[in-house]
Amino acid sequence: MNNFSEVSALLKELCAAKGVSGAENEAAKAAAKLLEKYMPAKIDPLGSVTGTAGEGETHILLDAHLDQIGLIVTAIDEDGFLKVAKCGGADIRVLAAAEVTVHGKENVFGVITSTPPHLSKPEDSNKAKGFDEIAVDIGMTKEEAEKVVSLGDRITFNGAYSELLGSRVASPSIDDRAGVAAILRCLELIKDKKLGCKISVMFSVQEETGGSGAQAGAFAAAADEAIAADVSFASAPGVSGEKYAKLGGGTMIGYAPSLDYEMSRKLSEIAEKKNIPSQPEVMGGKTGTNCDEIQVSGRGVKTALLSIPLRNMHTAVEVCDLEDIESTARLMAEYITERGGKNA
Amino acid sequence: MLEMIKELCTLSGISGRENAVRDYIIEKIKDYAEYSVDPLGNLIVFKKGKNPAKNKVMLDAHMDEVGMIITAITAEGYLKFAKVGGIDSRVMLGRAVRVGDKAVNGVIGIKPVHLVDKGAEADIPKSEDLYIDIGAKDKAEAEEYVRPGDAAWFAGDFVEFGNGFVKSKALDDRAGCAILIELIRSELQYDAWFSFSTQEEIGTRGAQASAFTIAPDYAIVVETTTAADISGVKDEKRVCICGKGGTVSFMDRSTIYNKELFDKAFEVAEREGIACQPKTMVAGGNDAGAIHKSRGGVKVLTVSVPCRYLHSPSCVIKYSDVDESLKLIKAMAEEFAKW
Repeated sequence: MNNFSEVSALLKELCAAKGVSGAENEAAKAAAKLLEKYMPAKIDPLGSVTGTAGEGETHILLDAHLDQIGLIVTAIDEDGFLKVAKCGGADIRVLAAAEVTVHGKENVFGVITSTPPHLSKPEDSNKAKGFDEIAVDIGMTKEEAEKVVSLGDRITFNGAYSELLGSRVASPSIDDRAGVAAILRCLELIKDKKLGCKISVMFSVQEETGGSGAQAGAFAAAADEAIAADVSFASAPGVSGEKYAKLGGGTMIGYAPSLDYEMSRKLSEIAEKKNIPSQPEVMGGKTGTNCDEIQVSGRGVKTALLSIPLRNMHTAVEVCDLEDIESTARLMAEYITERGGKNA
Repeated sequence: MLEMIKELCTLSGISGRENAVRDYIIEKIKDYAEYSVDPLGNLIVFKKGKNPAKNKVMLDAHMDEVGMIITAITAEGYLKFAKVGGIDSRVMLGRAVRVGDKAVNGVIGIKPVHLVDKGAEADIPKSEDLYIDIGAKDKAEAEEYVRPGDAAWFAGDFVEFGNGFVKSKALDDRAGCAILIELIRSELQYDAWFSFSTQEEIGTRGAQASAFTIAPDYAIVVETTTAADISGVKDEKRVCICGKGGTVSFMDRSTIYNKELFDKAFEVAEREGIACQPKTMVAGGNDAGAIHKSRGGVKVLTVSVPCRYLHSPSCVIKYSDVDESLKLIKAMAEEFAKW
């Protein structure tokens, strides 16, 4: 189907492992197993996966977040329906009739309630229902539900990892398993090289709920420089203009006051020199990613951001181009090689 | 029957494109009955019973499902579409779909909520702004796979869950099709006529023709209907309830049902110990709307399997209701044949 089979296999495996903010265990296990190929993997006190390899004067931290947006069970009603709230920035417009998995004592299938057009007024369909009006139907009575579901259980949105045309794929949780895949792919690209620098990897928890994982993990790593790999907005109908990236147009190199300008420039130079597809992403303040936490951790860390263009962010049909993950991995690998070479 | 419902639901067949569903049904019934396909694509079946019927009874279920039809391909390679049948846009956003003869994967995209204006986070895009993204780089690439006029339908698995529930697209009305297939494959007391009808979802087009052809005295429409027995909905607003059996209508938006037949259904259900319930709201419509006005008029009964989230990619039924509906429909067909 496409020429990015390694990246596709990585992304598929990572997306299959679930992990809503604060309950990333399954995703952490999958990511740790993949990281073990390159360095010993550990789980830190908040649940982030971390690892360190190489020696050198410069210490570079690579970060991508492990958690995905989802829902959290707040109550079980008298008929066994689950009342829920957001865990991370779930989009209420895509909830009606969504298929979900409740991560209870076992994985429980569910459907988010909706009202058919036969029973609603035409104008009702202009507004999404709020959390007070919806619930998750797990086909159980209250007594049955209470045996398998507890308050606080996380809920993920179901959806297959599906191949679209060319090298584009759709899946839930590409935000930010694409970033995790990019870092693992980067490690593969540099695994046989003698690096002149120390590399730390962090697959951080709780980005979607504020970045606690990155804040703690970056402090523990105490690196000199950091590169975060996250997703950002790709152009799509209703999302147009210079501001948004082209899907398949290459890795997005972040420029922002909070990002280290020299690192950003260096990444752009390397991309040009090595013919790695890239596009700039310019922000006027902070970035809304883990970079914001990493930058100010400990004594401060020079931080750069590489983003993978994504459509339909925070839905079960997030769409990315595998080519953009590959270019993110390649640019990261070239940057590390160059920084290490200088120090060697 | 569950396996048959699963297979039927997995087939794609929006209104006017019921071919795959019809072929499947023919395979299942051809050794048990005589059949023909009429000009509108209806599959008309005659099944000989142990006895000739005093009255001609027609049993109807529709083969088509709600979905989408591709209207245009944009310069950027996105697919524009029209809804086929009544679908609320709210159940379409962010859904996986399949498109065209090659069944390519696509998604119904939506502007990320992060980029939506404050205060507009719950606003649903207009139907005409919806689109399908198949990952095409441009119009030319999309055109290699899709043409205007192609069908699109919801992707998604058939799932058994909870306490005897199943979830799928197209349960409306493949559950009804499965009930009729089961009847045709069983031994019947009386001769019976069946219509697996086309184009119900765009206005009961198929049944209008098949009812004319069959010319029945009585008809039983076998359907799914709107169960609203969900969180936050009480009493009669629930319309019908999963697990309480076949749902019998006294009136909907297309038919006022014959009162004698309605009463008889409850009488027979009680006599035979079959679970059955009334539909407690005047809503929706079905092939009965076309059939009762056919020729000189036809007495009609509708028995529906209660179905939550009708016309969404995630319809939900309780399997026991299929069994109860089948029992009631079989008993009623016998009643009407000898009435």
